[in-house]
This record gives sequence, structure tokens and C-alpha cells, in this order.
Amino acid sequence: MTNSIPEFEDADCVLITGSNTSEAHPLISTRIMRAKAKGAKIVVVDPRTTQMSLLANLHLKQQPGSDVAWINGMMNVIINEGLADDVFIEKRTEGFDELKAAVAEFTPEYVEEISGIPAYDLVAAAKMYAEADAASIVYSMGITQHITGVDNVLSCANLAMLTGNMGRPSTGVNPLRGQNNVQGACDMGGLPNVYPGYQKVSDPDIQAKFEKAWGIRTENGGRKTGSGLLSPVTGLSDKVGLTVTEMVELAGSGEVKTLYIMGENPLMADADINHAKKCLKNLDFLVVQDIFLTETAEIADVVLPGASFAEKDGTFTATDRRVQLVNQAIEPVGESKADWEIINMLAKEMGASGFDFSSPEEIMAEIAALTPIYGGYSYERLKNGNVLQWPCPDAEHPGTPYLHKDKFSRGLGKFHGIEYKAPAESADDDYPLTLTTGRIMFHFHTGTMSRRAEKLNKEVPEAYVEIHPEDAIKVGINGHKRVTVSSRRGEIELATRVTDRIKPGVVFIPFHFAEAAANALTNSAFDPVAKIPEYKVCAVKIQTTADPVLEVCNESYKSKN
Amino acid sequence: MDYKNIQTICPYCGCGCALNLEVIDGEIVGVLPANDHPVSQGSLCIKGWNAHAFVGHEDRLKKPLIRKNGQLEEVSWNEALKLVAKNLGSIQKKHGADSIGVLTSAKCTNEENYLLQKFARAVIGTNNVDHCARL
Amino acid sequence: MITEIRDKVAEQLEKLDGIVALRSTEDGAAPYLFQQGDNLEELVMNPRYPLSKTASKLQKRFKDAKLGVVARGCDVRALVEMAKRNQIDPDRLVVIGVTCTSEEAEFCFCAEPAPNLDQWSGSTLIGEPVPGAPPNPIVAEYAQIPYAERWAFWKAQFTKCHKCFGCRDICPVCFCEACALEDPLWVEPGLLAPDFPMYHLIKAQHMTTRCVGCRQCEMACPADIPLTVLYDLVRQDVAELIGYVPGADINEMPPFTLTLADAAIESDLVY
Ligand code: SF4
Ligand code: SF4
Repeated sequence: MTNSIPEFEDADCVLITGSNTSEAHPLISTRIMRAKAKGAKIVVVDPRTTQMSLLANLHLKQQPGSDVAWINGMMNVIINEGLADDVFIEKRTEGFDELKAAVAEFTPEYVEEISGIPAYDLVAAAKMYAEADAASIVYSMGITQHITGVDNVLSCANLAMLTGNMGRPSTGVNPLRGQNNVQGACDMGGLPNVYPGYQKVSDPDIQAKFEKAWGIRTENGGRKTGSGLLSPVTGLSDKVGLTVTEMVELAGSGEVKTLYIMGENPLMADADINHAKKCLKNLDFLVVQDIFLTETAEIADVVLPGASFAEKDGTFTATDRRVQLVNQAIEPVGESKADWEIINMLAKEMGASGFDFSSPEEIMAEIAALTPIYGGYSYERLKNGNVLQWPCPDAEHPGTPYLHKDKFSRGLGKFHGIEYKAPAESADDDYPLTLTTGRIMFHFHTGTMSRRAEKLNKEVPEAYVEIHPEDAIKVGINGHKRVTVSSRRGEIELATRVTDRIKPGVVFIPFHFAEAAANALTNSAFDPVAKIPEYKVCAVKIQTTADPVLEVCNESYKSKN
Repeated sequence: MDYKNIQTICPYCGCGCALNLEVIDGEIVGVLPANDHPVSQGSLCIKGWNAHAFVGHEDRLKKPLIRKNGQLEEVSWNEALKLVAKNLGSIQKKHGADSIGVLTSAKCTNEENYLLQKFARAVIGTNNVDHCARL
Repeated sequence: MITEIRDKVAEQLEKLDGIVALRSTEDGAAPYLFQQGDNLEELVMNPRYPLSKTASKLQKRFKDAKLGVVARGCDVRALVEMAKRNQIDPDRLVVIGVTCTSEEAEFCFCAEPAPNLDQWSGSTLIGEPVPGAPPNPIVAEYAQIPYAERWAFWKAQFTKCHKCFGCRDICPVCFCEACALEDPLWVEPGLLAPDFPMYHLIKAQHMTTRCVGCRQCEMACPADIPLTVLYDLVRQDVAELIGYVPGADINEMPPFTLTLADAAIESDLVY
């Protein structure tokens, strides 16, 4: 997020898209509701009716996958109505002409054709957003999980820059990260192209810095790996590594032999999980470190029991770059161990040096020394209740509540003219409905934790598909009947919820349920840059499943008559 | 007889609410919100209020497991770590570091993520490091 | 005053096994069971937590322990309601009552900011009682809204509800293991916002004879719903119609508590 969570409260307009905020990020929706109570305008662009859309001033229901089109359309209106922030564009940005040309054809009428958003609603939304003093954009996976995910994100940035809504409190472009420490996992270099703090693996100076710090290039050349189990690493690789999507794919083709997975469940989270499972089964060796026997752990060769958040110290980084202390409340259950301890032990077993940490606090000291944006963090500062948002480069720095205050990280903000591209798969005669997936309030991610929480599971104990009454009639569903939903990749059986909360032609399935995993259906076609699969759009069909009770009734009816 | 509250961070979404785990004699019995936190301000959502519920669940893994004759069997830490070290080593030697991939975690701590990517890069020698952030 | 409280706690700890109070450390302030040897400098009076529930949990767990609690006026009223419902054993609990200041009373619109300790043997009061604060003016205002509009008003409020159950979980007098709010018979599970008006009216109905006016539900509500306005309204009705004031008298049973013996089983209904 460019800005902080509390800042939403003081926005004059909040544009929410691709985020079911009150269910996926409840305590952020609190702030948006407060903004509304103070008079802010709320615009929601989402194919489903959500709690936020019920509270919004305007709700635009777009066809899934048409985001570039409607955002270009809003910019078209803003430019034509003279609502662009010329001063900001002049001083802080470049490439405006390219943008202007790209959005010229996206008249509200044309956008209506593509997205189904009524032209007058689009104009109203554009004005609401552009006329506000401080307008904030909130988005989540509904924007990124498309083959045009990067285009969608750039479009949001275009919109914010066009109206000068950057670098001030209560403005900005605010992606809400799904899981509690996604932000931290990225910050810590859990990415194939960067070291901690987004320092590029291809940069020779950075490489040298880490080689020195990690004791890899010493005077006498390589570093000793002791036990001789491994070929010693004599220099850090400057080759950008594989993304998770690629690792899974290459596991299937045999180029990747081993995966070491800590606390992730790709066999539920990945798109097209049937295919992913086939790929992972092809591995020579699969190690999973987790607190439960997840769907992925079930097929592993070795499973190492990790400790839960309540059983260890450490830090998590919230979606607004806020680093916070996690404190141990109880001892790890059984023989489980904190994940940092496990890695420590494994590295030592392999004869590696540099893994003698006796506490997470010591690890943080090393992180701070090597990661400029985390340079000012120490447990001592965090313990004193300091709210520190990175970048926080040194021990005196107060943290950074909002980014891009005076300039963007690249200097001038660049406008990108973005062309609209249709989703990889559209509804057709064989698969006439568009499936979109997402989260619900009562469960979390792959359900590993929340489905084991009695009270959460009680609220929503099983998977369901949301379908509009019009479509339900076509399919022949009445009441809560079970159906089979199938795509070109797989099929699942689940309950139905007939509701006009969803757009006709579109169905929604929450992805938390292993026994009816939405990701058995989703398309693994991914964004060429970010490699994010298109979870939010694929084509499906729905058939009613044979109802055993009904059949018995029919039979007995027939036999009696 | 011991009752205390430990303030920590919610394990669910990215809002990063603070919450108190109520502990009686080493057992978590409940959750209370944290009043002085800048984001949660004494509130939580239903997931936060139930953040402790899975911690003591009977399904928790309590010992390392190794697949033997197709079945996962409980083994000692020593045996499990030796096997992982040996296999990672031999695969790295035989097929090169880039035949190994590592997934860090959006649910583990920063320190753990840091350590695992360090392990991948400095010990194994590969940049094949990613996590399920996009998913 | 805080020194006086700490001294009293130190004195009582010589006789008791432990005292429930708030403890403030570098991580924040929360309920804690103080025992001999603990640093009483860490004992504080803010923020607010449902200490009656902590005391109840500990009494149930440690059946022989003699415990104490540092309690404000509303905490004591909550203890009274919990005791009536067999969730607190008053004979095993010593109360160190602490008066609230006028400002605190005004903030909570509290009519009785000093704890009433008449029915708690061995208890002490610390601080000077101040007079009660006037009621929340909004309550009278809302009472003027015509019924048709009231419905719309509350509907709009409850559309914001996150169904966090926080108002229940933080409530110092809500303790049932089987809660009607989680019963699919009453409230359809899994909906957001929860069913209007069932979820909230059940809660309000349960508050009629329990709500001690501590305001903690409203403070815990992530949706900023003015819950205490609703509860004040229903409490007012109960006080006027039945003359019952929650927390006032430990010997007066709540009026809506029904036992099978009270019920005349003369129904024609065949089940
Ligand atoms: S309490 Fe709810 S909103 Fe807060 S971090 Fe946890 S899951 Fe997110
Ligand atoms: S605390 Fe507020 S949001 Fe939570 S259930 Fe109660 S009324 Fe709803």
C-alpha cells in the first residue's frame, strides 16, 4: 500500500475494486465506513454485490476481466471533462500524451459494450473520484489475478496520477495483501528476482554485498560447506530464478527435481490444481514444513512440523508496510519447532555456516544490516510500541506512513497507455457461465486454519456456488440443491446459493474448501509479467447432480401410480 | 495457577490487527482485543476473535514424518533432518542448484522468510525462491 | 489513587491466592492474575476489559482458589449478574472496588459510577464516589423517531455489521456456551451482514435484564454501530415496566428467567 490503513478515514472518495473489503480485510473496511460516515463518497466496482457495495454511493457491476476497459473509460471522462490534475501531470509525471491517445477510444458507450457498466454510471463514478480532494483507490486480488493483472495495476496507477491522488495522505493506490505476512514474505526476498528489500539479484554490487555478508566469497575463494553433502556455493547466482507457477510446471516436465515448501499449500492455492498435483507428484523429493498435514504435505516425502504463530517470536509486516512483533504465548505443541529453528538446524546439518541464530531478534539484526528499507528496525524499537512502516532506513527514522511524497521511486511517475485485452477464456456455448473466485469473511485462504476453528466452520461449513436466479432457472436449480460445476480442467460438486447478489451470467465460488476446490476449475493461464494466474475469470457450466432423496421419491411415486 | 495475556498479531489477513492471547497455565483459552493498537483499536473480526482456535487442534503435526513404503511415518528430528540434508545435497550435486525450488511463506514470520531465502541462495545456490503471494 | 489500589492489592495478596486486574507491560495492557511477588507497579485501571468473565473463568478452573478482583462500578454490576446466573461464586471472591471520576462517568453516561459493595463481604472501596452522569442525550432523541423510521435507521446501522460476535465476546455478562446467535434456527449462518433484525434483536433482547452499561460492546464494534443506544432503550423499558435494574441486587432474580416449575404446561400443542 502506498498509504496507511488509518488514513482511509479521512479520504473524500474511496474507489474499491476487486476487493471484497469487509470480508477479506474487515478492519480496513471499518475505516472506509468511517470515511463514509464523515461524508466521503464510496464507489465499488465489482461483479458481485458485497457488503461494501451495499454501503456505497455507486456500485458498478463490470463483466469479469474488463477492468482495463472501465478504468480507461473513467480516464477518458476525466480528461474530457477537464478534471485531470494538470499541475501534478506537468510536474510529477511523464507519458501523458501516450495515455491520452490510449484512452481516447474508451468512450463511456464503448466501455458499456465491453464491461456492461451503464455509461451514465461510469461518468458519475469518474466525476466522484476526480472531484474529490483526497481520493484513494483500494484493490485486491480482483485486480491482480487476471492475465492482464499488471495492466490492471498500471491502470489504477494511471488513474491516481491523472487526478493527482498520489503522495498525499488518504490518497494513493492501495493493494490489500491477502495473507497476514505476504508483504513481509516479499520484503524478505521470497521472490526469484530480488534479495531482501527488493535488491536485484542481477545487480553485481548487491550480489557482492550479500556474498560478503553471508561469507560466501572469502579470501581463499569458495566457502567450505563442511559435510561435503553439497557442492559449495562459490558465488551467489545472478540468474533470476523461477516463480512458483514455473516451478510447478517444470516439476511436471522433470527439470525441477526438488521442492522445499515452508507453510504454503500450492495444491489448494494454485490454479488448475489437478494439473499442479500431477506435476508435484513427478518430483524426486518434496519437503513440506507446516503445522497441519495440508493437501500438499499429504504427497510429500518428508513433512516437518512447524510451530504456529502463538508458539514463536518474530515479526509480521501488515499490508500497509507496518512491521509488528509477534510474541510467543505458549510452548510449541508436541515436538514441533519454530520454522526458523528448523531451517537453522537443517543448514547446520548440511554444514553451512551463518545459521547460528539463537533468536529471531538476532535474525532481525542481520536483516536490518542488509536491507536498507528495514535498516532502522530492531526488536527494542518495536517493543516500545512504535508503529514503524518501511522504508525505515535507520534507527532514528520515524517510518513512512505514505509513499511517493515528493517523488516516485523512479523520479517521474510514468503513464502507461494500456490496451484492453479480453480474458484468456470467455464463456461460450459449451461453458456458458463465467466463474469468479474469492474469499469470504468466515474462512481464510486454503482453509487449513479456519476450517479447524469450530466457530468459523460453523458459519460456513461447506463450499457453495453463488448463482443468479435467472441462471438458476436455466440450470434447473430450486432451493439449496447440489450441483456439479465443471470447466475444461476439472469438476467439483457443491451446494448452491441462489442470489441476486451476483451478476447474471457470472457465478462465484469461495476457494477455501478442499473437498470442492474452486481451483480445480480455474485457468492457469497467467499474466506474462507477474506470472499471476487468472483466478478471477474462467468459463464453466453447471449441471444439477442427481438428488438421491428426490429419486427415491420419484421411484415410489411411480410404483404407486 | 497462572493467567496472563500475551499481545501478538492476528495470523489471518493483512490488516495486521493486534490481539491478546489469554493463557491459563500454558494453554490458550481465548482471545481479547488490544485497545491501544493503531489499526484494530480494540476491535477484531470473527477470524481474529477465533485466532487461537486452530492452535491446539488435534490435527496439529507433532513429529516429523517420512514416507516409508508409500506411507508417512513418524520419525525423530534427527532422522528427518539427515534425510532432507542428504537428498537436497545429492540432487544439488547431480542436477545443479537450479533443479531445486524453495517456497517461502506468507504465513511465516519475516525472520523465517529471510532465513529460508538465505538458505536457498547461500547454501543451495539458487534464486528459485518464491511464495504464493499472487495466489 | 493508583498507589492506594496497589497497596490494597499487596495487602490482600497476603490473604488471597490471586487478584484479577489490568496489567500494563511494553506490549500493552490486558487482564492478568496478580500473585504474590508480581510487580504491582504494572497494575493499571485502563483500558477496559470484561474482568467479570476473567474472574469467572478462573473460578471455574481453580475450584479451591480464593480470588480477588479490582473492579469499577460496572464491573461489580456485571459480577452481580454473573453471580445470579451461577457464573461467579460470590463467597470465593473479594472485590476491591474503585470509583470512577466524573469525567469517566460522563464518557460512559454512567448513572452509578461508584461500585456498590454492600453485598460483597470482605470488600473495600477505594476513591470518593461521584454523582451519576446524565444519560446519553441521543437515547432520548432516538426515542422520538417514529417507528417506521427507526426501522430504517437501525437497518442502515446493522447493514455495516461484520458479524464478528465481538459485542457478545467482550460483554461482561455474556457467557453461554450455546449462544442463540450461533443457532441456525434463529440466525442463518454465513451471511454478511447477518440477518436483520434477528441477530441484533436477539442480542438486544438478551441485554434487557443483563446490560450493566459498561459500553465495552460499542468500543469493540468494528462497524461503529451505536449498540449502547439500543441497549439503553431496552433497559429503560425494563426498568419502567418491570422495575428491574441489572446489577443492583444480587438476591433479586432476573425477571425473564424461567424454570420449568414456573411454566404452566397446559398447552394443547402436540409435538
Ligand atoms: S482480526 Fe480480522 S481484520 Fe484483523 S487481522 Fe485478523 S483477520 Fe484481519
Ligand atoms: S461488535 Fe459490531 S460488527 Fe461485531 S457483531 Fe457486534 S454489532 Fe456486529
